[in-house]
Amino acid sequence: MKLAIDEIRCKGCNLCTKVCPYKIFKEGKKPNRKGIIVPELDRPERCANCRLQKLYGRRLCGVCELTCPDQAIHWIEEEPYEPHKVAIEY
Amino acid sequence: MTFEDWFRKDRLPHIFCAGCGNGTIINCTLAAVDQMGWKKEETVFVSGIGCSSRAPGYIMTDSLHTTHGRALAFATGVKMANKNLHVVVFTGDGDLAAIGGNHFIHACRRNIDLTVVCMNNQIYGMTGGQGSPTTPLKCLSTTTPYGCAEPPFDLCELAIAAGANYVSRWTSYHVKELEKAVLAGLQTPGFSFIEAMTQCPTAFGRRNKFRQVIDHVEYLKAHSLLKAKRDRLFEEGKEIPPDMFVVGELMRRNRPAMGVLP
Repeated sequence: MKLAIDEIRCKGCNLCTKVCPYKIFKEGKKPNRKGIIVPELDRPERCANCRLQKLYGRRLCGVCELTCPDQAIHWIEEEPYEPHKVAIEY
Repeated sequence: MTFEDWFRKDRLPHIFCAGCGNGTIINCTLAAVDQMGWKKEETVFVSGIGCSSRAPGYIMTDSLHTTHGRALAFATGVKMANKNLHVVVFTGDGDLAAIGGNHFIHACRRNIDLTVVCMNNQIYGMTGGQGSPTTPLKCLSTTTPYGCAEPPFDLCELAIAAGANYVSRWTSYHVKELEKAVLAGLQTPGFSFIEAMTQCPTAFGRRNKFRQVIDHVEYLKAHSLLKAKRDRLFEEGKEIPPDMFVVGELMRRNRPAMGVLP
């Protein structure tokens, strides 16, 4: 699982920076295409839900998703790592 | 299935201002509705007029966007016409307490099986920041430019006195508690009233020194007094700070309810 911020929905209120117990969300620096400063993720692999949701089989914490007034934060499935066979042509 | 599936995704992003707490309350309510396992065809969301009342427009169920203050009257009609439907009402403070005050107390008195989520942002946000019946004392708004001189309504006390079965109050900071309170309200037969204090950065915060969204959320967090602590202070005979509001489950009882399937 991986944290993701939907840049189309986010309005840049920075409430997520306040509520995350791990302080994963940081205030952004650069405005995006719509002129909204979207928060940045600071080492998102620390998120408890990302690490342990599969193990526990339920939503852990999840306060950022509930608090986000614009429904911009969600978790997406990561594709499992597949080693690619690279054929080298001489 | 998560609460995300209850949204009309083609309607998002919604038109609430940046930092408005209404989106948070919708999230919490939908998370609770999702846990109840109701079908989308059997759930109806009703709302009146105001910022908060735009909420059912973003929810993928049947919904009614009704006249100002009459959300509870329409919801009563929906419930009486078909008792199989689960009715959830979104209202704001101006909608519920000012123009719909009579509907509110009579819905509490009849104890109809509804769940009412009141997003109390302490001002009329949509029309430009006029003072509402819940604007705290000395707060500025466009109709009270020298500070509000009238004492505000305590909606939870009003609902308890009028006879609601389940009453609780939380803020938009306490998301998990709010979700559990809405869930308890949905499970309770009879009228359940959940008041959610929200921040309003555009109309209320701008005039009352909460220019940043986080300032207002911090204020709500710092000035909410848990019910257990209130009772403890009361027993010890200490004074309860006047600028704080009580949060928690304020009433749960079993008065005979109307509109419940036998």
